[in-house]
Amino acid sequence: MTDKSTDVTPPHADGDLRAPATREERRAAKRARRFENPWMNPKLYWGAGLLLGIVALGLLGRLFWDMDSVFTGANLLKLPPVGFENLRGQAGTFANPLGTDGAGRDMVALLSLGAPNTLYVGLLASLIGMSLGIALGFTAGFVGGRVDDVIRVLSDVMITIPPLLILVVVQSVFGDVSLTLMALLIAGFVWQSPTRLIRAQVLSMREAGYVQMARLSGASTPHIMFREMLPNLVPYLFGSFIASVTTSIVTAVGLEVLGLGPQRVPTLGRTIYEAIDAGALIQNLWWWWGLPTLLLIVMFLGLLLVNLGLDEVSNPRLRKL
Amino acid sequence: MRLLTMTGAAAALMATTALAQDVAREDTVIFDLDRTISDPGNFNWFTDGTGVRRLQGAHQTMWEPLFILNYGTGELEPWLASGSEQNEDATEFTVTLREGVTWSDGETFDADDVVFTVNMALENEEITAREAATLREQVASVEKVDDLTVRFTLTDANPRFLVENFGVRIFGSFLIMPEHVWAGEDPATFTFPEPIGTGPYTFESAATNRAIWTRNDDWWGAATGFADLPAPQRVIFLETGGEESRAQLMAANELDAAQSVGVGTFEAIRAQNPNVIAWYADYPYAAADPCARQLEINTTVAPWDDPRMRRAVAHIIDRNQIVNVAYEGTTEPSRTMFAQFGSMDPFISAVEEAGYGLSPTADVEAGQALLEEAGWTRDGDYYAKDGETLSVAIHVNSASQEYVRTIDVIVEQLQRAGIDARAVPVENGVFWGEVLPFGAYEMSYSWLSCGSVNEPWASMGRYTTDTVVPVGERTPGFNNTARWSGEGAEAYTAIMADMEGRALGDPEVPAMVAEAYQYLDAEMPFIPLVQAAKLVPFNTTYWTGWPTADNEYNHPFHWWNHTHQILQNLEKAE
Repeated sequence: MTDKSTDVTPPHADGDLRAPATREERRAAKRARRFENPWMNPKLYWGAGLLLGIVALGLLGRLFWDMDSVFTGANLLKLPPVGFENLRGQAGTFANPLGTDGAGRDMVALLSLGAPNTLYVGLLASLIGMSLGIALGFTAGFVGGRVDDVIRVLSDVMITIPPLLILVVVQSVFGDVSLTLMALLIAGFVWQSPTRLIRAQVLSMREAGYVQMARLSGASTPHIMFREMLPNLVPYLFGSFIASVTTSIVTAVGLEVLGLGPQRVPTLGRTIYEAIDAGALIQNLWWWWGLPTLLLIVMFLGLLLVNLGLDEVSNPRLRKL
Repeated sequence: MRLLTMTGAAAALMATTALAQDVAREDTVIFDLDRTISDPGNFNWFTDGTGVRRLQGAHQTMWEPLFILNYGTGELEPWLASGSEQNEDATEFTVTLREGVTWSDGETFDADDVVFTVNMALENEEITAREAATLREQVASVEKVDDLTVRFTLTDANPRFLVENFGVRIFGSFLIMPEHVWAGEDPATFTFPEPIGTGPYTFESAATNRAIWTRNDDWWGAATGFADLPAPQRVIFLETGGEESRAQLMAANELDAAQSVGVGTFEAIRAQNPNVIAWYADYPYAAADPCARQLEINTTVAPWDDPRMRRAVAHIIDRNQIVNVAYEGTTEPSRTMFAQFGSMDPFISAVEEAGYGLSPTADVEAGQALLEEAGWTRDGDYYAKDGETLSVAIHVNSASQEYVRTIDVIVEQLQRAGIDARAVPVENGVFWGEVLPFGAYEMSYSWLSCGSVNEPWASMGRYTTDTVVPVGERTPGFNNTARWSGEGAEAYTAIMADMEGRALGDPEVPAMVAEAYQYLDAEMPFIPLVQAAKLVPFNTTYWTGWPTADNEYNHPFHWWNHTHQILQNLEKAE
């Protein structure tokens, strides 16, 4: 009895009584801080963390792994990851911890080159697309008139064209394309949404007091557009940027899975294409198509979280107290 | 691309089963088609360079050959013909036709049809199919002796005339067309919209991804007692589009004969469906393909017009690695340009003894030395000359993993050695129809020296200078697509002209092969790579009697004209 009471009561009784209070307080303080500094957003952190993880995979892989084993015929074919056996009864080895594909390419090397490449295409494409969108959107919204008509009609028409259809044709004609060229091609299809979005915002802002004030004080058009109005759109642009990165990656992966896009440069989509083309499903070579799919999931999850986080940053109503 | 075709194939299969409802699955045999039927309503095989107007089932079920070469025995077995005679110097051949053969519309098949069709090929230069072009080169005239006898007079002696033109030696044979349909039509433009043949099946319908053929119960063969009516009531050729869908359809018994697959895929199919068999019961399963693989080079395109550059590439290629990676060990490196059949041994040894044999491994230094001799210097990753990087685009037919993988390996080997190589995958029909015949490539992967099975001329004779045409014009019969010319080629052609008339088994021929081979070795108009093996899966769930090593009535390549024999041998599974 005494044992029991000494064992259980003193510290727990104490803790049980005090802990909720302090935890509650701490939580409240945390929430308050978050409200004051919206950038301290866990979704944002997690999302950015996942994306940085992909970049880190690329860096660490290049530093610590033999990237030459990404070449055709560098290893034995169709080896499973460590701890598994393939249909032939071969066990995985630590020389190729994630296994190899049907051409003897090491999966670790393939993924640590391929995942950052896929991210790179998405980032570059939407960076270019966004810049284009910002420039056109501002011009249309602020200058108005004929310029506005041309830009608006152009972006309205372009938004109805399914990008994959055009890109499939274009890339079949090009044959082998580089990652950068592919990003450029995709960029041609991600500028319309930001253009429309920004044009709409600029139209409503144009009549705002501070813009009128700037105009009256004789500020130049570019000054008003980029120095006065742009800063107010930053959270908006961020959200839009992340959305277009997602679109770009989806488009790029879509092309790669169809066997288009760069051929000798590893990307996640191309790895999946090769796996399907070589009959990896029926041969149960799940690591060949499964690991790149997993990395794509991580990448999209990261982008989604960043997007949700940015939403909360720019819109205080979404931040729960 | 492949995925699109795959879903297409699934949809097509559903459509086919809906169409073919009146014939039960167990009475239907489904063959795999490895290319799109680009123009399903056109049955003019003369103007088709891709072969798709025949291998969609037409020459397996509807059009019959005069003879069929039996790969097992080496004998030429009569089919529409009943026999043949030749004069002593092999310049005149007399073919007797079988009695009682009729077209599926009831008209009699006779010497008039043969003479008419051969004359059509002789008179019309627009006819481009390989078989027609070969015939045009060899035949001076053709005449009807009586209703069942035809006499061919050749331009040069050719003891192999019948097997080369009418015997299904490689893929097809010169197919006889009905005079009563084709007379008065322009063979260059006629599409033969309601095709008929003498075969046991008639045309039912076709779309871009399938063709359906229905048994003709009045077939002449059964009526005359030549052969039984084949057991399948319906034959379907279906484009499956790729290894994965091919394998899944096979495992699910939706396909009876597939195009070739990799050894891993075959083992996986068999793990799911033990009814699936191949040529051999055990590893390596695959049947030897008489067409040895090679790297085709367009010898008119700089810098590959320099023999040193072509020899450099030949040194850089590691054949063992191609065997291990692209074929998973199911074939062997080529020692010469020839298919390594026992009957070819004397010629292969003659070449090797003369010192022109090929190494199974690479000698990259020797290759790089040749590049440097030709004025290229290594600058970082790649060789360069006058500020230009040494690069090459290799066109590859994307229809099979085997092709794509081989070129992947070669691209990698060239890249490592300092040549910026890249693969250009092309759809099957485009590859055979546009890229290869017109010389629209720098390098490519194919088997254009294919032909020799028991003598050397059929392969070697394809690289003579008389078939050289400028890039952009169609090479007659895919002969010397490399467009190899110059002094060496002329000397080679002279030896070939001598060899052409030599009889089978002439003791001087091996020495002539060795003598001619010095020019191939010195100039490398093409680079022999590996022997080919085709792992063709057959499904015994509905049909048995497929050709295998234990049941060798002929080889298993069911896209060839000899498939009539396979259909004859099929029996309903118990």
